[in-house]
Amino acid sequence: MSVSIFLKHLAATAYNTIFRRNSVYVGSVFAAAFVFGIGFDSGVTAFWDSWNKGKQWKDIRHKYVQDEE
Amino acid sequence: MASFQAVKKSINLAPTVRALPSGVPAAPLLNLTTRAPVDHHGHGHGHGSSGPRADVPPSWAGGVSKSSFGLFTKTYTTAPAPKLFQQRLLHTSAVVKDAPEVPDFSHYRAPNTDNNRALSYFMVGTMGVLSASVAKSSVSEFLQTMAASADVLALAKVEVDLSTIPEGKNVIIKWRGKPVFIRHRTQSEIDEARSADWKTFRDPESDEARAKKPEWLVMLGVCTHLGCVPIGEAGDYGGWFCPCHGSHYDISGRARKGPAPLNLEVPAHDFNDAEGKLVIG
Repeated sequence: MSVSIFLKHLAATAYNTIFRRNSVYVGSVFAAAFVFGIGFDSGVTAFWDSWNKGKQWKDIRHKYVQDEE
Repeated sequence: MASFQAVKKSINLAPTVRALPSGVPAAPLLNLTTRAPVDHHGHGHGHGSSGPRADVPPSWAGGVSKSSFGLFTKTYTTAPAPKLFQQRLLHTSAVVKDAPEVPDFSHYRAPNTDNNRALSYFMVGTMGVLSASVAKSSVSEFLQTMAASADVLALAKVEVDLSTIPEGKNVIIKWRGKPVFIRHRTQSEIDEARSADWKTFRDPESDEARAKKPEWLVMLGVCTHLGCVPIGEAGDYGGWFCPCHGSHYDISGRARKGPAPLNLEVPAHDFNDAEGKLVIG
């Protein structure tokens, strides 16, 4: 029951803050697209790195290149 | 004659010969919505305003009696119905209604539409977010296809170890297919380049603007006249001399004499002081 009340408040708040004015709506859509793009890129990159762990140059570089200290 | 037929037709009711699409027999001159008179108590147990039913069979013809074993029925004779007690309607089809009754949909309606509205906007906005991401990704990926690839970028820069160039010497290296002059100038050459009255030159440019560090002069070794490669430490001004058409450049690479219209071009370059290197590009 409290969940439904929370959802109701969430819906009303979201409508009043974001959806009511189209300029705010479109702006928040673009902002969300920006954030989503960054998150998606970093997520896919993290997955790629974990899937190819030990195969990439940055993982094996220390075996071949000794930086001068 | 025709009017007589119409009158005769209206008096002698036409038989029903066809049915309407609604199932009602076609009877144009009959009022099919007529009903029997309302009689709330004409339903058989004999206490209505019209008195006991007249169509009850007489007791001598039989009847139902109650005994200890239950209801007991006996018929002695077949008694005819005393009279026609039920008015027969013309048909039993459903009555066609002009405006059908609208069902009650209140059970299906949402009690509060705020959640649904917010959810609808949310879904539309999510679609917009995904579309914008796809569009932005498409555009940026397409623009990245125009960027130089890594091997081209790797060739675009040249590193020169400055410690190997002694003072007062020229070095010519190849950078992007073109020669680049690097001159380690002596102090007297620097003084000469800086003291010249550069505002009167053909392409006025100060030595401070051309050399980031006064002792190092970096220039493209391509004559600005027709693209020959000038000769170092030659010419009337102690700088470079183009043998093709006789252009003279001074110790700062500025055009001083001959057909060359511009000074020798200075490429973008940077000094890496920590490693004593020059990075061109």
